[in-house]
Amino acid sequence: MDTKLQVRNLRISFRTSNGKVQAVRGIDFDLNTGETLAIVGESGSGKSVTSKAILGIQAGNAITESGEIIYDGKDLLKISEEDFHKIRGDKIAMIFQDPMSSLNPIVKIGRQLTEAMLLKGKARQRESRKNFNTYLKHLSNAMVTSVAQGDQEKAAYLKDMCKRFNKFEFAHIDLESKYNTAHEAALEVIDLIDILAFELEKNASKDATDRINDISVQAKAAVNPYVVSDKADRIQTLARQIKGQWKRAKKSGKNQELLQSLYEIRDILKAAVNQPVPNFFRMGYYVTFSGKPLPDMPVEELNEYLREYLDKEFMLEFIENAEKALEHSADCSYKKMQEAIAALQSGLEVFAVDKLQKKPCHQAMRTLSAAVKATIDPLSIEKDSLTFTFPYSLQSEIDTYFSAIGKNAKAQKVYNKNKRKYDKIVAKGKTPDWEVAAAAVTDLEMVKDNIARLLNRQIDHYESLLAEKEKRDYQQQTVDVIDYLKTNASGVVAKVTRNIAKRRAIKLMDEVGIAEPHKRYNQYPFEFSGGMRQRIVIAIALAADPDILICDEPTTALDVTIQSQILELINKLKKERQLSVIFITHDLGVVANMADRVAVMYAGKIVEYGTAEDVFYHAAHPYTWALLSSMPDLDTNEKLEAIPGTPPNMIYPPVGDAFAPRNKYAMQIDFEKQPPMFQISETHFAATWLLHPDAPKVDPPKIILDRIARMKNKGGDENAE
Amino acid sequence: MPNNDEVLLHVENLCQYFKMSGGELKAVDNVSFDIKKGEVFGLVGESGCGKTTTGRSIIKLYNITSGSIYFKGIRIAAGKRSYQNAIKKAREDYKKASAGASPEEAAQLKAQMEQTVAEQKKLMQDAVNDQRNCDKEYSRKLQQEVKDKYEPLLEKATGEEKDKLNKEYRNAMYKAKKTKLVTQIQMIFQDPIASLDPRMTVREIIAEGLVIQGERDKKVIEDKVNEMLELVGLVREHASRYPHEFSGGQRQRIGVARAIIMNPELIVADEPVSALDVSVQAQVINLLNDLREQFGLTILFIAHNLSVVKYFSDRIGVMYYGNMVEMASSDELFLNPLHPYTRSLLSAIPLPDPVYEKKRQRITYNPLAEHDYSVDKPSFREIKPGHFVHCNDAEFAHYKEILK
Repeated sequence: MDTKLQVRNLRISFRTSNGKVQAVRGIDFDLNTGETLAIVGESGSGKSVTSKAILGIQAGNAITESGEIIYDGKDLLKISEEDFHKIRGDKIAMIFQDPMSSLNPIVKIGRQLTEAMLLKGKARQRESRKNFNTYLKHLSNAMVTSVAQGDQEKAAYLKDMCKRFNKFEFAHIDLESKYNTAHEAALEVIDLIDILAFELEKNASKDATDRINDISVQAKAAVNPYVVSDKADRIQTLARQIKGQWKRAKKSGKNQELLQSLYEIRDILKAAVNQPVPNFFRMGYYVTFSGKPLPDMPVEELNEYLREYLDKEFMLEFIENAEKALEHSADCSYKKMQEAIAALQSGLEVFAVDKLQKKPCHQAMRTLSAAVKATIDPLSIEKDSLTFTFPYSLQSEIDTYFSAIGKNAKAQKVYNKNKRKYDKIVAKGKTPDWEVAAAAVTDLEMVKDNIARLLNRQIDHYESLLAEKEKRDYQQQTVDVIDYLKTNASGVVAKVTRNIAKRRAIKLMDEVGIAEPHKRYNQYPFEFSGGMRQRIVIAIALAADPDILICDEPTTALDVTIQSQILELINKLKKERQLSVIFITHDLGVVANMADRVAVMYAGKIVEYGTAEDVFYHAAHPYTWALLSSMPDLDTNEKLEAIPGTPPNMIYPPVGDAFAPRNKYAMQIDFEKQPPMFQISETHFAATWLLHPDAPKVDPPKIILDRIARMKNKGGDENAE
Repeated sequence: MPNNDEVLLHVENLCQYFKMSGGELKAVDNVSFDIKKGEVFGLVGESGCGKTTTGRSIIKLYNITSGSIYFKGIRIAAGKRSYQNAIKKAREDYKKASAGASPEEAAQLKAQMEQTVAEQKKLMQDAVNDQRNCDKEYSRKLQQEVKDKYEPLLEKATGEEKDKLNKEYRNAMYKAKKTKLVTQIQMIFQDPIASLDPRMTVREIIAEGLVIQGERDKKVIEDKVNEMLELVGLVREHASRYPHEFSGGQRQRIGVARAIIMNPELIVADEPVSALDVSVQAQVINLLNDLREQFGLTILFIAHNLSVVKYFSDRIGVMYYGNMVEMASSDELFLNPLHPYTRSLLSAIPLPDPVYEKKRQRITYNPLAEHDYSVDKPSFREIKPGHFVHCNDAEFAHYKEILK
């Protein structure tokens, strides 16, 4: 599984009138594609702050002290607000706890749903076109250098080949999107008829005019040469007829006639949607270049015929050349990597001196950035995030260092002055009611460490890439490249008009379980109940088809049935769209339902981290125990164990384990020193001294042991394996 | 568990309709239940099913449309709709019946109709009077008690003692006059911050009820407030602070203190823990449990977190779209859920057990597909002692079969 988002050593503080509140104190985690990571903790543990940092919506008084959030070749902590506009809502979307605060009260729901689609539609088209064009240009250039090698005629031929690809690819997309629209319409009509017929048979008196109109429109839209071709006329007539039949049925109360027509439409469409799909990619080439009409034959034969035609004329040659180009470009990149490693190693020496000097540092920064940038392979589809972010990370670290030197010097002066005052007061035998602030604003050694770590990580990264050099499968990659081009081409064609946006919005509303979406579309947020509002918010978040979905307690205010439906919805969408989800909650039942992995946070640190099974069945940190035992389940009868006390004041974070004062298993060392992350199994980590080999053996509270035993009894089959 | 059978609150055919642009919204429709003294009655259901409306009708935040609510045997709320409907029906019946009847018969029918109408009108007037006078009567009763207590004492006393007694007597009478029956029912709200006035100190918030009830002695108020604060796990120093200075759990504790200072017999807790953190939830639940043991409180617990309701309640009622669909003791309900909606609701509870959760299948409830009420009308029936289900004859037989 590949990693979608990496959070490294994130530290965030807030300036307040009382001092600096350390909200997040150095957390690391990865988010993989298509998985749900649940972050659990009390309010004030820093879970929301983390998610807001990922979305770049920190409060004004937040200071990001260190760390990286790497997504898609960018460090989200360092990119500009302008760049963030392209990511926020589009790639990373968030669902907030209070739905009313994320809806505009004076704008109709429909408008709010389609707004993002319409806004992003154009931008996406533009971006897809840019991706497609640049990639094809790089590919054609690489082909020319690797295959033609100075042969002018050959070079011209190759360039022409790429142009042809461009042309027929768009023909393909056009054909396919028409087919898809018709196919979807057919499926929708089938669904609509199923529901409507059920109600009509039961004689449940509901007004169906809207739905009948819908069926009529959609049924007409389903007519397409590859979906419904032979019975197209019949569908058209039926679609016209049902409106009148419904009117008659409403008057007379007899709906036999209407039902019959509906069933006929359904049967025709059902047969139609099960037909095999022609290969439009091949068809696009044939239609564009052969100059002849399509041969009339069944779909399977047609597919085969087109495949042969395409292979003979174009594809085999294109693939061969593209493969060579890919290999050539990758080889260049590997050579540059060797050079970059040497440069980085010499760079390490520059930054190893005791006190850094401005000039050599900036010099080294420029050479290193250039060397690293040179290793980027323009033909690689997957962005090498570490390489892309390296120059920015390095620059920001160096900037931090030099600005901190000045600040530290100033702070030292203030410190000396205050310290003298303080000493005088103490000498008089009084106790002052203020404290002397620490001298250093920023820990310079830490910054230097960060720089060294950055360089070393880059070297390791290159070495691992070089080690895998031989294993690369260029054939497979060529196929991927063609897919990539196809996706982008379809992105260019996918135009979002107001009508399409409305249709999509209504479909989304239906998908998130809002009844009568047509009527609801034109209502204001205050006309919805809490659960409905939350569904709207989810629909808005999903409208832009994001990569990562951050859910900040989305179901806390909802009741069980709705909660269950919304969780199912998120799970379903996650599977369908390969969505990565960060799920923030304090309800452990919900966590067990949603999470693939769980991170338990307390006082700005991750205290336990592992798969859902690890954390629920083999919890190791006392805080996790406390959370588990403070919540009743259906079989709990004994008194609940509430966690005593309150979370620590994060202006003065505790020296040792932050949970120690509320922890009845705390040992002396917990108050003195912070526990490191102990690894329990391959996937399971916990930061508690109880896991140290010298620590006394402690069992979790009885209430948890009982519950685990009960759970094992219930799900006996699975756990026995 | 309660060990007596004294019914504290009796709700009978409660209906609460709201006027809407397109007719009426039946928020609560024909709901009946009893709450015994000292028990916790849980009310669950999805949002919009009328559980909060039921709670609010009980503390008389709304004028109910139809039905009656009895508290300690006194009718505290009554609606007129059912009587109006009866009158209407009697008149219509008369019209229909008299159409083809002879003059003598018609006259007889008319007399009959008029009698029914007069009866219903009287009942309606009773209902209105009961609702209007329940507080007055209660306070009159209290005044009488005070009188009986002080008058013999006053007769005996002389001089300075008499003055003191007189003052006390006047105070007590004033309080008795001001006391209302419904103050014996208190409510704890869902959102602790929205239900506390941000411009009042905690002392003012907690003491407000006492002051309204006629308590004028500052010392008594102070002592009482401090006692309540300590009872709910806060300290005296908190009394002079403002609500925003507290965390969510502490705010909810203030809400609890405000409710119990009135020395209520019944508390309507409307989702008191839904807006709180898990660890705080446990604190508040433990607090309510302790108070319940200490004062013998009766609680109507409205919530949607079924694990909490199961843990906290003795009996549970399940509501769906204004109707009570099932009611049983909490163990019984979770062991033998009968109504399809209850089963759907129980299947939606998330539990902290990943293996179970990955397998859990939610049952959907579609009333149209589940029930056929076109001929055989449903009603609320007892399947087994203490276990009620909303069903028709066919389903009644079916459920009986299941329970065997």
